[in-house]
Parts: sequence; C-alpha cells; structure tokens
Amino acid sequence: MQGVTKSYDGEPALADVSIAIARGEFAFLIGTNGAGKTTLLRILLREEPFDSGVVLVNGVDVSRIRGAALTKFRRRIGVVFQDTRLLPNATVRENVGLPLQVRGRANREIDVAVDDVLGRVALSDKGERFPRQLSGGEQRKVALARAVISKPDVLLCDEPTDSINPAHAREIIGLLLDINSEGVTTLVATHDSEIVNNLRRRVIRMDAGTILADEAVGVFNTS
Amino acid sequence: MTAKLNVLRYVLGAAMLGLWRNRTMTLGAVVTTAVMLVTLAAFLAINDTLNEMVTALGRKSNLIAYVRDDARPSRVTEIMQDLEQRPGVGEVVFVTKEDALRIFQERFFDQRDVIDILQANPLPASVELRMDDPAVLPALADELRGMTGVFESVAVPLDVVERLVSISNVSRAAGTAMIVALTAVALFVIANTIRIAVYARRQEIEIMKLVGATDWFVRGPFIIEGAFIGLVGATLAAVALVVMYLQVAPTITRLISFLPIATDVSFVRNLAVFIVLVGLVVGSIGSYVSVRRYLAV
Ligand SMILES: Nc1ncnc2c1ncn2[C@@H]1O[C@H](COP(=O)(O)OP(=O)(O)OP(=O)(O)O)[C@@H](O)[C@H]1O
Ligand SMILES: [Mg+2]
Repeated sequence: MQGVTKSYDGEPALADVSIAIARGEFAFLIGTNGAGKTTLLRILLREEPFDSGVVLVNGVDVSRIRGAALTKFRRRIGVVFQDTRLLPNATVRENVGLPLQVRGRANREIDVAVDDVLGRVALSDKGERFPRQLSGGEQRKVALARAVISKPDVLLCDEPTDSINPAHAREIIGLLLDINSEGVTTLVATHDSEIVNNLRRRVIRMDAGTILADEAVGVFNTS
Repeated sequence: MTAKLNVLRYVLGAAMLGLWRNRTMTLGAVVTTAVMLVTLAAFLAINDTLNEMVTALGRKSNLIAYVRDDARPSRVTEIMQDLEQRPGVGEVVFVTKEDALRIFQERFFDQRDVIDILQANPLPASVELRMDDPAVLPALADELRGMTGVFESVAVPLDVVERLVSISNVSRAAGTAMIVALTAVALFVIANTIRIAVYARRQEIEIMKLVGATDWFVRGPFIIEGAFIGLVGATLAAVALVVMYLQVAPTITRLISFLPIATDVSFVRNLAVFIVLVGLVVGSIGSYVSVRRYLAV
C-alpha cells in the first residue's frame, strides 16, 4: 500500500501510510490503542473505504473492486476480527464451516475440513456449542479456525491472542507460523509484547496513523 | 454446478429456519397478505362483471330507427351512407322485415303460432346504429325523427347505456386504485416483516459478506421467505375465493340471472392463479428491496 490516507469524520486515522508485504511473508503490526492497526486491516479487506493512496492486495487494486469481484477478492483472504464476529445463532462447527458453506462446498467436504481445523485449534470437543457458551479465548480460536479453513492466500489477524493466556497464545502463534509456512502471507496486529519479542520477526510499528518503524527483526518496546 | 446446488440447499434450509424462528411474524404476514388478496380478488370480480355488462350492452344497438314500409329503398341507402360518415358513429346495419321476423321468432319461440297465423309480416325494417361515442346520440336521434317520410319512429335506449358507461368508468378507476393500494399494502406488510428479520440478522449478513458470500447467498433466504409468505397467503386467499364462489355464485346467478355476472369457473380459476402469482411476486420483490441496503458491506 502506497500513501494511504483515511479519516473518520475529519479525524485522521491513517496518514500517508506506505508498506509492502511480500507474498508468503509474516509480519506483526504493533502500536498503541487507536494507532490505526484495525483501520489498516479493514482497508486491506476492502471493508472500509479510504481517502487517497493506492492499495494492492494479491495484485488487485482495492479501490477498483466492484460487485461480484468483491466476493472473489475476499475469498482469497482469511480474517480474524478483533471482535471475532462469530454468528451468535450458529454452532462452532457451523461458524467454522461458513466460509466453505458460502462457497457452495458439499456438507461432507465441509465436515472433514471442520474436523481438521478444530483439531488444530484444540476445540474438537466444543463443536456443537454456541459462541456464547465459550470463553473469550475459545471464541478467538474459533475465529482463527474460520479464517484458515478456506486456505486463503492472505491471513489478516487482529489481536488473535487477545484474552488468551500465554500458554495458549504461544499455541495460537505457533499455528499462525505453521499456516504461514504453508505459503500464506500473514499480517498480525497485536499488543502481545512477549510474543513479538520471542519470535524475532518483521515488526511494523504504528502510531497515530503513521508508520513509525518497520524492522526486519523487530522487538516490542513501549517507549 | 454442484456448488450451485449446495448453495440452493443451504438457501432453502436457511429460509425455512428463518420462517420458523419468526413464526409469529410469519403467521401475521401470511394472514394479512391473504386478507389483502381476498379483497383484491373481490374487487377484480366486481370490476370484471361491470365491464362485461357494459360490453354486453355495447354490443346491442344504441339507436334503432324503424323504417316506414312505404319508404323509398334508395333514400334509405342514401341516409345510411351519410350516417356512416358521421363522427362518433361506429356501425350502421340494415335489418330487413324478414330479418326482424326471424329475430322475433327466435326470441319469442313460444308465441311462434301467433305469428304464423298472421297473413303479412307486421314488423318494420330498421336501421340500427352502434355508436363509438354515445354523446352524439341525442342530436342524431332528433335529426332522424325529423325525417317523417322515411322513419316511423326512433328508439334510443340512451339512459341505460350512459349510466352504465359512467358506472363502469368510475368502477374501473376505483378498481384500479384499489388494486394498486392493496398490492402496495401487501408489499409493505411483507417487506416490513422481512425488514425486521433482516435487521435482526444484519450482523450475520455483514459477516457472511466478509467471509466471501455472494449477494445472492445472503439475499436468497430472505427472498425465499418473502416468496413463501406471499405464496402461502395467496394460496389461502385463493382457497377462500373458490369456497366463496361455490357458496355464493349459485345464489347470485339465481337472483340476477339477466346479468352476465362473471361467475364461471374459468374466471375464478384464473383469478386464483393470478392471486397466487401476485403473492409470489409481491413477496419476492418485498424482500429483495428490504435486503438491498444491508448488502453494501
Ligand atoms: N468506525 C469508526 N468511526 C470513527 N472513528 C473510528 C472508527 N474506527 C476507528 N476510528 C478511529 O480511528 C483511529 C484508529 O482506530 P483503529 O481501530 O484503527 O486503532 P487500533 O490501532 O486498531 O487500536 P486498538 O489497538 O485499540 O485496536 C482511532 O482514533 C479510532 O477512534
Ligand atoms: Mg484494533
């Protein structure tokens, strides 16, 4: 993305943001509350319009996507939303299978895929529960399972380890790295300093809607 | 192809689930739709009857000028040619004495013997006019009455025709207004029911779009729900219509047998089919419209 500017009702949320993430890369997006991380991810999903600049995802110019192309575009992206956005009236299995359901996959195929990803997030025994019957961390795992079930090219995660205890958080990040090692470009917005410091990966640091630093091997410092 | 079938199966399942979850509202919308459509059907039936009455009367002559037996045939021909040129005149027909007798005999079959015993044919020949525009009739009748050497008398069943034409115009306008109004009400009721369902599920819609659902995948269940409400409401209305017809039609026909009331079976069947189609279309359009604004995610 190049020179992207975005404001909400005159309040700037992103100011001249330029970043490039290569295919298959893994990067963290860090910054204080309100720095613009979520806004950036929402723009990448074309969930939110922006004011100026150019955004390319998978070689597609986001501002030019119209109609049916939007569906095609989003099917190549998996997302873990900061607020999880699970369907409240659907079971865990139904939620996780939704991306395949909307693609018109057969129920048998969906069942197999759901079993597989629920196993990966260690929630195999909670498949018939509803989201409100899960803990916050479990809901986040369900959101992650839903994001990866369709084997996207790009994975966008907004605070995937928020409200997950450190041991489980490490598990989740391990899972993200696994998925990344399968060739999925992965961008993770996080506040979790421990994870960022341990992994020694690329870190894009944001503040007040701008990129403060972009380090190939970054650490989390709060200064 | 199988993907489309899977989506279709999902959409149908989701629609049935949605209807069941909101079953009270579904029932309310179905009943309202049925009542609207029965009223609509009643108006259509009344309208159709009035139109048929007017058409039936219009087929008869608007003016009959009885020709004197001693009138010169060439003079009569001349007048007829002149009449044909007049504005507002549709058709000019000459009915001979023989034709008149035959028509008389057909109409009064029972009294045939009475005529048979007559030596000569007592009926006059006549010139009959069918008008395109009944407004010019009075002047025309006066003019023909003035030709005392040619015509014995001139008869104009004017009042009846005029009154019926105006009744029919009023009823046609009122009927059209009612049809539009009732269809709008049915549309509104269904759209509103679906709008509430859509509103309750707006986050669901947004989420589905964000994980790659097409507009049709999201919209499909709601449209099926609306179509279902319309279809069931309309089917109820059609059943009510047929029952009412079976109960009421024989009585009406007996009471006013001289009127060509639209109570034959094909009319009722067509009306029932029409009502069901209206319900289906209204339901589909109603939901299509209500989902639209939530799809821009
Ligand atoms: N829908 C919105 N309407 C108006 N302002 C918004 C909206 N969403 C975000 N903002 C504002 O934009 C700025 C960036 O918000 P954003 O959610 O991108 O921050 P963030 O980096 O994700 O923060 P956090 O770490 O708390 O999740 C904030 O000042 C926020 O108040
Ligand atoms: Mg955020």
